[in-house]
Amino acid sequence: MKINNIKQQNFKGDVYNSVTKFVTKHPAACAALAGSSVIGQKVVMSAAEATVGPAMDIGVGRVITKVTNEKDNRTNQSSKTQAIRTAAQAIGGTIVGVIVRGACIAASTALLAKAGQKAGTKFADLMCNSGKIDPKNIYQFQENASKWGKSIGGAIAIGVMLFTNFIIDAPFINVINEKITKAVDKISTKKSEKAVNNG
Amino acid sequence: MAKVVDKLINSLNPNVSSGKTLLVLNALGMAFAALSNTFAAAKDKNTSAEDKKFLIPAGLVTGVANIGIYFGMTKKMIDGFENSAKNAIKNLSDEDIAKKSLEFANKQILKKEKGFLGTGLFKKSPEYIQSMKTNLLKDGKPTEVAKQLFKDNVKSGAGVIAAFIGAIVGSAIITPIIRDVSAYIVQKRIEKQKPHLQEQPYFPYFDPTHVGMGPHGKFDNVVAKKQPLSMKNYMAFTNGRTKI
Repeated sequence: MKINNIKQQNFKGDVYNSVTKFVTKHPAACAALAGSSVIGQKVVMSAAEATVGPAMDIGVGRVITKVTNEKDNRTNQSSKTQAIRTAAQAIGGTIVGVIVRGACIAASTALLAKAGQKAGTKFADLMCNSGKIDPKNIYQFQENASKWGKSIGGAIAIGVMLFTNFIIDAPFINVINEKITKAVDKISTKKSEKAVNNG
Repeated sequence: MAKVVDKLINSLNPNVSSGKTLLVLNALGMAFAALSNTFAAAKDKNTSAEDKKFLIPAGLVTGVANIGIYFGMTKKMIDGFENSAKNAIKNLSDEDIAKKSLEFANKQILKKEKGFLGTGLFKKSPEYIQSMKTNLLKDGKPTEVAKQLFKDNVKSGAGVIAAFIGAIVGSAIITPIIRDVSAYIVQKRIEKQKPHLQEQPYFPYFDPTHVGMGPHGKFDNVVAKKQPLSMKNYMAFTNGRTKI
């Protein structure tokens, strides 16, 4: 237990130190990421899902097949189907997701900027608008509006996506899924044909 | 409850930590997705009441485990990264900060002048650029506002990196493991109780993505494929279906 604790401590300390080193070396790169919105997060997530996700699905299927000693290989087979579906979901979900998120963020930023122009309201407080907006502080005001627009718009997008998921995503993902399945089938038949020809 | 709502609203505040805002929004999306999938399972007519008794709690447990692991891990990481960044800023000398914040301010101004990726899209007005310049620069040197902005952004950017790593690990590693393993358990349980289902063609159970597809009616493409009963049939309630 003790050894384990020490190891864990060291691991944490190592991560902490290397992050500190990285930030000290590349502060500009970190600062550039600061304003990232849910759009950036979605793109990063989907890219990982489209590349690592399918491999994970197949891997998990193989592990289950091995651990449970399954003879008919069914889990393995269905995990391949799931892998294609994961990729299709990542592609379709990103296209729809980025559009919906972008629209929600743009709309909320515009609405917040409008609502914040009247001094004394709650929105004006959020935008740090204490009095009149003059040419001097228009930067601070708009910057705050876009910051809040990103987070509030992101939250609204989640609500909107509950509906667009069933209306747009589901059929769209199905189409992509079928296309990928056909492409994968083509590749595997070509491979087996080659094997027959060679053999 | 009021405390939770307060915390939620506070975590949406972009001035506190943009990494945490991203984390909360992603976790909320995952929670809604898990709930709507479970709801779809509960409403599905093709599922017997007996199956629902097992499927609904299974769906909820899967969702809670998935979101819980993702949230706990990422929150810790964001805190750690932000602390590291604070330390790193302390390590930088005043000259360094002045130099870097000047570079940063100039880059930001150029970005706003040229618009999104230099395309002119979302370009800001000349008044805005002028106001930005007077706020951030004075006699070719960065103002205190610019220095503070740079420091805040470094800390917040480190949090964003942690949030991104958490999102990648969560969506590409944790979710598939929890989803596939739980789907396997559900599948085995149903097969045990209803062995005849194994010979049946693939039926969409409560899979909303299959409804309405195909030229001849609702389920024709699904039946036409004649897929065997598989993990996939029982995945609708886990986080595999609705993605937010």
